[in-house]
Amino acid sequence: MNRFPFATYLTSNTDLDETMIHELVHQCMNKSVDKGAYLLRQGETCEYSIFVEKGLLKQFAIDDQGKEHILQFAPENWIVSDRASAYFNQPSEYFIQAIEDSNVVLFDEAFILQLAKSNASFLEFNHRQLHNHIRQLQRRILQLQSATASERYQHFVKVYPDLLLRVPLVQIASYLGITPESLSRVRRELAQQNRTILS
Amino acid sequence: MATRSVEAIIRPGSPHYVGDGFRVHNFIPGNQGASMQRMNPFIMLDYNSKYRFAGTDKPRGVGVHPHRGFETVTIAYQGKVAHHDSGGGGGVIAQGDVQWMTAASGVLHKEYHEKEWAKEGGPFQMVQLWVNLPARDKMSPPKYQAIQNNTIPKVTLDDAGSTVEVIAGTYQDTPGAASTFTPVNLLNARLKKGSAAGFSFPAPYNTALVVIEGSIVINGKNQAPTDHFVLMANDGESFTVEATDDAVVLVMSGEPIHEPIAAHGPFVMNTRQELIEAFEDFNQGKFGYLED
Repeated sequence: MNRFPFATYLTSNTDLDETMIHELVHQCMNKSVDKGAYLLRQGETCEYSIFVEKGLLKQFAIDDQGKEHILQFAPENWIVSDRASAYFNQPSEYFIQAIEDSNVVLFDEAFILQLAKSNASFLEFNHRQLHNHIRQLQRRILQLQSATASERYQHFVKVYPDLLLRVPLVQIASYLGITPESLSRVRRELAQQNRTILS
Repeated sequence: MATRSVEAIIRPGSPHYVGDGFRVHNFIPGNQGASMQRMNPFIMLDYNSKYRFAGTDKPRGVGVHPHRGFETVTIAYQGKVAHHDSGGGGGVIAQGDVQWMTAASGVLHKEYHEKEWAKEGGPFQMVQLWVNLPARDKMSPPKYQAIQNNTIPKVTLDDAGSTVEVIAGTYQDTPGAASTFTPVNLLNARLKKGSAAGFSFPAPYNTALVVIEGSIVINGKNQAPTDHFVLMANDGESFTVEATDDAVVLVMSGEPIHEPIAAHGPFVMNTRQELIEAFEDFNQGKFGYLED
């Protein structure tokens, strides 16, 4: 599996000076986490945003019945955080857990502010990322209200093209807000329509 | 003919699980010099060294997953594996058998310890080797060669009862059981203590050994113990393997395929674009459907 260094993520998206980025990134915390380890638990304060250099995380909540609801997957090159907790300083409602052995970089709000202060292109990039995030969240709300299981699945594989190989179907169903049986049915029907390779 | 020397003797690294049924040491690509490029056309080798699985009513194994662009070769030394695929095929690979699956354009399959074997449990020992396909064959139709042990040609070496099983390629003019897309030799040398076997493959062919049982000496000087991987250099053709204990040695040698490799997980193609297509086809059900 390839590794996606945080410094590369920043240099390829902003016109920040490379030396400066490396200095700043050096101040961030690099962490290796084993599959199953938690980076955040419900009730804790989320102090960091987490950039995934290698591996895969999930952010989820557990309801009163003990059922897991997955809000987001974060594979390589993604950022995951609990905004309510990290920005508004509330105890988190979420868990963030590694579902593969992972390498992550933790950065806090001060890091963002420092970068933003020193560089307009970063400010613009960060702004764009936030709006893109909101756009995705809006689309996801609408989908959960109105889209069929098949439409949800089709959108999922566009956003996360390789996760079907990395995540058990029951977790994908949780993310999509459908039952595992519905997900199986959707995939079976799709295979019947599209099956072209095997005779 | 020049002697082919030993380039490296590689110790088995710490094992990891594939699913919950295969406890493997990865030798190719590994991190000790046997990269895909170095070992080409052999692009992956997982070795489940002898490991005792306890009996269970729920067979261990690995669930539904796809492959495209290469062949998987499963060699069962101990234990039994049942497999099923999205084309409706399936079967059991028992001790001594070899399954040569040409994934090519794509299959979904799953592999579990065979149900009755799993109930009892016992020692389990297998090799899974991936053999790359040239660009012209990557999208050919998938197929199986289920090779039972009694159909594998055997060359008797001496009165002690040492033999070489010819899985693919040739050994001393005896052709192997499996057909291959590019020149590949795959042999099981079963040597009694003190017996020796000679091998000769063109120098450019990438060549390696896995010591499955016992211990051996290569070219009269390099010792390799059980569960070690021997990477042979490309400085000559011929080498000898002598058993210092009753030994089983998997010998592989293949002509390199001089094409770019774009690999991600279970897909091995030539370009990044082909990898993206593989993911799209898999996500869109073009590999078929198989119940978990």
